[in-house]
Amino acid sequence: MINPHPGLPELQYVKPATLQEASKFLADNAGVAKPYSGGTDSFVRLRDGVLKLDYLVDIKGLEGTKELSFDPQKGLTIGAAVTMNQVASHPDVLKHYPNLAEAAASVASYQLRNRATIVGNICNASPAGDTIGTCMLLDGVLKVHGVDGVREVPLNSFFLAPGRTVLKPGDVVIAVHLPVPPKGLVGTYKKLGRNRIGDLSIVGVAVLGYPTNESASGYRFRIALASVAPVPFESFKAEGVLSGKKITSELIDEAAVATMDSVTPIDDVRGSARYRKQMVKNLTREALTEVWTKLSK
Amino acid sequence: MANAKSKEQVINPIGASFTRNDVYEKVTGTAIYTDDFQFGNKLLYARAKRSPYPHALIKRIDTSKAEALPGVKVVVTGKDFPNRIGLYLQDKTIFATDRVRFIGEPVAAVAATSEEVAMKAIELIEVEYEELEAVFDAEFGASDKAPLIHPDLDKYICPNFIFPKAHTNIANHFKIRKGDVASAWEKCAYIVERSFKIPHIQHVPIETHVAVAQMDEKGKVTVWASSQSPFAQRNLIAHALHISQSDLRVIAPMVGGGFGSKAGVTMEAVPVALATKCKGWPIKFILTREEEFYTNFVRQGLTIHVKVGCDKEGNLLALKNMMYWDGGASTEYGTNVTRAGGYSSSGPYDIPNVETDSICVYTNHPIGGAYRGFGMSELHTGLDQAIDELAEKAGIDKVTFLKKNGVSEGDVLVTGMIMHKNGIQECIDNVAKSLKMGEKEKPSSPDRLRGKGIAIMWKAPAMPPNPGSSAWVEMSEDGNVTVGLGGQEIGQGTFTVMAQMAAAALGVPYEKVRIAGPVDTQYSPYEWQTVASRLTWSMGNAVVLAAKDARRQILETVAEAWKESTEDLDIINGVVVSYKSERETSLENIVIYGMPKENNEGWTGGPIVGRGSFMPKYVTNLDAETGQGPRAVVHYTVGCEGLDIEIDKNTGTIYVLKGAASFDVGKAINPALVKAQVEGGFAQGLSSAMFEEIKLVKGVMTNPSFVDYRIATAPDMDFPLDTPFVEVPQDDGPWGARGVGEHPMVPTIAALGNAIYDAIGIRLFNPPYSAEKIYLAMLDKGLVK
Amino acid sequence: MTLKTITLTVNDMVETVDVPQNMTLLQMIREKLSLTGTKNGCAAGECGACTVLMNGEPVNSCMVLAAECEGANITTVEGLAKAGKLSKLQDTIIQAGGVQCGFCTPGMLISATALLKRNPNPTDTEVRSAIVGNLCRCTGYVRIVDAIKMAAK
Repeated sequence: MINPHPGLPELQYVKPATLQEASKFLADNAGVAKPYSGGTDSFVRLRDGVLKLDYLVDIKGLEGTKELSFDPQKGLTIGAAVTMNQVASHPDVLKHYPNLAEAAASVASYQLRNRATIVGNICNASPAGDTIGTCMLLDGVLKVHGVDGVREVPLNSFFLAPGRTVLKPGDVVIAVHLPVPPKGLVGTYKKLGRNRIGDLSIVGVAVLGYPTNESASGYRFRIALASVAPVPFESFKAEGVLSGKKITSELIDEAAVATMDSVTPIDDVRGSARYRKQMVKNLTREALTEVWTKLSK
Repeated sequence: MANAKSKEQVINPIGASFTRNDVYEKVTGTAIYTDDFQFGNKLLYARAKRSPYPHALIKRIDTSKAEALPGVKVVVTGKDFPNRIGLYLQDKTIFATDRVRFIGEPVAAVAATSEEVAMKAIELIEVEYEELEAVFDAEFGASDKAPLIHPDLDKYICPNFIFPKAHTNIANHFKIRKGDVASAWEKCAYIVERSFKIPHIQHVPIETHVAVAQMDEKGKVTVWASSQSPFAQRNLIAHALHISQSDLRVIAPMVGGGFGSKAGVTMEAVPVALATKCKGWPIKFILTREEEFYTNFVRQGLTIHVKVGCDKEGNLLALKNMMYWDGGASTEYGTNVTRAGGYSSSGPYDIPNVETDSICVYTNHPIGGAYRGFGMSELHTGLDQAIDELAEKAGIDKVTFLKKNGVSEGDVLVTGMIMHKNGIQECIDNVAKSLKMGEKEKPSSPDRLRGKGIAIMWKAPAMPPNPGSSAWVEMSEDGNVTVGLGGQEIGQGTFTVMAQMAAAALGVPYEKVRIAGPVDTQYSPYEWQTVASRLTWSMGNAVVLAAKDARRQILETVAEAWKESTEDLDIINGVVVSYKSERETSLENIVIYGMPKENNEGWTGGPIVGRGSFMPKYVTNLDAETGQGPRAVVHYTVGCEGLDIEIDKNTGTIYVLKGAASFDVGKAINPALVKAQVEGGFAQGLSSAMFEEIKLVKGVMTNPSFVDYRIATAPDMDFPLDTPFVEVPQDDGPWGARGVGEHPMVPTIAALGNAIYDAIGIRLFNPPYSAEKIYLAMLDKGLVK
Repeated sequence: MTLKTITLTVNDMVETVDVPQNMTLLQMIREKLSLTGTKNGCAAGECGACTVLMNGEPVNSCMVLAAECEGANITTVEGLAKAGKLSKLQDTIIQAGGVQCGFCTPGMLISATALLKRNPNPTDTEVRSAIVGNLCRCTGYVRIVDAIKMAAK
């Protein structure tokens, strides 16, 4: 029986002035303090009693967290306090990473996206996180400030289990960095919810592709999935299918089936495992077809 | 007379789409809802301790730790309030006493100086339970194998039209035995037999339930509540707490949506109970969204087995309905949903032989209550889809089949009542024309399948035989009119419609009429409840009578002053005119101070106060074994809906291309408000058809939040909706009007189910018709790979 | 729990408020400033009834801590009409008949106001997407969408 608190339970709002101060406070209060940016996930879990905290540590004023910048040599940096809407509407994101803008714009509602952040989406490590797959495919790396200073953590080694990551007490993610995208990149995010838009994903499929001499097909495709595995999942098996041969609609079908075969989703309140598997196949096919059509133009 | 005020162009208030009279406050944020009242620092906050078990005995409750917590003012439990309460069947107590019957049932409550303290106190209350075997299925619950949920059912008080079966879980068994069904099957050329299971759903008003209660030192109680039923709440809560009705005052301001959930009494009794033990303090109880989903009224689940047959020409001959309603832990209100489902069980079809068993069963699920449609959506979901298949089997075009069998004036209805004239034929025509029914059209892409569905419906106001309405009409020195009434503005626009009726009956412009709100049982005239789509008709009749009474007083005053006959006088545009002498005088000259008689003979008249009272007196009870009687209900509103849809072969997602809805409203007092009701009802119906289900696993609701209980959002309603209405006047309605508040959500699930069938050739028996269900059905049938 | 003192601008008025640290912006607006036009429908960022403008952008005020609003500029439904004159959108929602129970209306008006500011000529799809986070149970959104389009003209 879920019987949440009407408002937020008692807690303290802490606003550190520096990253060092934030990391120290979080480390000193391990288990009862959490970094706080948009709060869209934490508030709900605090009300439900799933998350119990004494302190919300606001990281929005800390150095680097508000940065949203693109460097043609280095790529895109998205600070931890940068909202989904800021990302989705930023000209450089729309130009160089339109698939990320698409994924960000698919999250919840406009007003929620004014609070929700990409870094928050990543740190919550929900299997349903809509922007995580795209950030993974774009080889995202997190910049983390811990008690021992700053370190970099690639997204492909960040997630451990639903809601669990490699972050340690005292860690504050400052930003996620996406390198310069491969030349000719085309990507998309296909999301299926119960409502037309705005829902959590039953299945989410992020796909990108770009021309390359390194594969026999002349292209490299990458496929990441949401809501069908305990952690955001990249289907290397299906990507392999698409690297060896000339791309045809039959090969795309084969890759879609391989994607489906690579996951073992669960039944939950949003959808059955059986439906999810079918949708992985169909949405992957749809996404690959769309990307391939654009690439081959 | 050339420039006389009486001759100014004036809009007839009846049939005019005036702007709502509560809208300025609502768009500026100044409209007051219950949670907006300011009570100052003395306000206490209530929270309820709730049962975590679906069925258990309460062995022990220890509230001592909670009582000792600083900030806690009072803790109450079931033993303090043993009296039963209920609108129809008195089977409920404010708190569980010896036994809990559903997850979320209140067993104790706390009032404290803050919500945080109240929450802590709730956690400190210790309750020891002994779990019992529970009932999670209505059909099983009705069997003799099921454990008893209310062993004392035989001792409960109920009106003589509810038929509980002692020592079972059957709280009401309503029967129809019309004609001879058994022998009629032989005459049928085509028969369809189907079973449907319609899940529990929630009303989802955007404002959750909230009530504030305060008892003064003398024992008088004031309740501020978001309510559809201030008078019923006064009566039932007073009765349960042994307070005199006149010592319990309910003030009911603006309501942020009701849809039936705020009818009768639910959580409002909790703060009143607390207030009786904590005199002088206002105590606020507001449900969280999560509590709203499963601790208060829900729409009952229904399992319906329907068998229907027709002859070669497609004339319906026989219908057999077996309905098991999942009434939940209490059926105090739900027993009457079952009754309504029974006496309307033929739908708007002329069928000579009908056998219905409508059975209300106790289960250990959330409590079923009134829900927009009052059983009709659930019934029609089964019936109209079975009939859709029957038409196909008979090889008759569906529109033709519906028109052939639609109920018409003079037909002997399922209860023996004779049908009044109605516009169901025009409603069907409107929808058929709007959607080009019968014309197979191409889908917009090869990835999609297209289909069209149509369904008809009827619904009568479901209520006791004699629910009353009353009204008064007063005037002020400026000639403005104030209407006192007790029905609630819950968004439907009733205050606007009542103002229009009063204006028309009196002879004043609409703008001159105000409504005396908020409804306050201490000052407002009596109204049974804001339910059953009955206000336009019932309260409307009372308001018209009150306005006519005021008009009579005005005309008599003027007649005496002018030494004329009232027959020669009229009120036009707020001015009394004489057709005989051509004199005229404005109302402001009359309505407070009366008028001087001629020749200095003194005065006549005085402050004008009109009164009106209306109660239907012609409804009869029905025979317990056959459901037959002269007049089961006051009248029926009929209508038709249809959908033109596409289904995505890759996902099962439904895309609605167009919707159409047409209802016979008798007379649209305010056409824009009628259309707005139809649009909103259609959306709620479609939402329930595509998304909504209270997912219950062993009595636990697994989706009690907007995250996982999805309702239609703006992008889901992305299609044109055609809403032409029909006006065949109702003989006992004001200007012929009858209600249409509930009806638009009644046929929607069936219409969608029929459209899905048309598109993919598969009948789905378990709404909601989610993309997943549609896709997997297509997959199983080999339509997709 | 210690109170935090914050100063912010609400509907063009500078306010200094002592707030508990777990108080949301929604609670502060309603309980401390008595601006009860902003509604609480779910306290979980899902229904949109509590939507206000924060520094010009719509947010669910139930998802913002009051304590972090130092220096913020907030507009609630009470701030839409200026000097007694309704905003264009308030006017068109009345004309279109987009109000029934009225509980979603304040949040709806705020979301739509923000939409028209960032996109003065939205398509039907853009209008609907902009209010996907504002649940309405009464209207089927038909006349609300009409009103927003009318205001855009």
